[in-house]
Amino acid sequence: MLKIAKFIAHNATVVNITGSRLARTSNRFYAQTGSVEDKNITTRDSDEPIDITNPFEKDPQQCILCKNNITPHYKNVRLLSQFQSSYTGRIYGRHITGLCKQKQDDVERAILRAQQCLLMPGYHKDLDFLQDPKLFDPERPVRPHKY
Amino acid sequence: MPSYELALVLRQLPRPELISVIRRTAEAILDKGGIIRKLENLGTRALPHKVSEHGVVHRVGTHFTIAFDTAPTKISDLKEEFGRDIDIVRRYIFKVEEPEEHKCTLHEEMLPPAYRKDVQELIATAQRKQKPKYNYNSGLDYYPFQK
Repeated sequence: MLKIAKFIAHNATVVNITGSRLARTSNRFYAQTGSVEDKNITTRDSDEPIDITNPFEKDPQQCILCKNNITPHYKNVRLLSQFQSSYTGRIYGRHITGLCKQKQDDVERAILRAQQCLLMPGYHKDLDFLQDPKLFDPERPVRPHKY
Repeated sequence: MPSYELALVLRQLPRPELISVIRRTAEAILDKGGIIRKLENLGTRALPHKVSEHGVVHRVGTHFTIAFDTAPTKISDLKEEFGRDIDIVRRYIFKVEEPEEHKCTLHEEMLPPAYRKDVQELIATAQRKQKPKYNYNSGLDYYPFQK
């Protein structure tokens, strides 16, 4: 009886003094519970955030000329006239046309070259191209007007 | 030898004379040791505005382009020669360039200013240009420089 009491007391002290040892002892005594804990640990790992690219990220925007892979050329007057005001013949800015910097630069250079070669008027749009479809609305620019 | 393109506007002429003008210009290129790659007729049509050249006002013209290869040193001679020809209203020689591979940068341009690379560079240069300023909380109880 005394032996049992001593044993219980010994065990009790072990439990009370070090809680951490309890887990170890329990592990040692009940191997099955230990395996359950291991499973828990593995599931917790799978729940952790994973390093992936943002799945909701949209495709990068492309300007209309890059999208259709068009290089503006000075002999392609019909295309160039679409970037010209029909009232004043002036070239619309990047905030209206919605082109990327490079393409806007190409368009402006091609228009100037066509005007030098007398292929294109400078103060109005060619009357043949007045009914062409509109690529953009100058009244509703992509970015606000300066004025 | 680099490739060039000669954009011509010829004055209104009957067909046989037009042919003789084109033959004259083509022979001028060949005499300078050039190679003709392509002849292109862009048609006879009303010019976008009246053009005064060689003391005559032109309202109708024939557009013609000649693609050719020649030494760069001969270009000024050709220009001078075509400039003297009274049947040629406009003459421009452009270098033919292969369109470069270009990736659309519209997406980066449409970002808010703080995220744009060019704006960040502007801010960095502005900060670099700022004069070093005396820090008043540096522990000294007097201003160490001459006022």
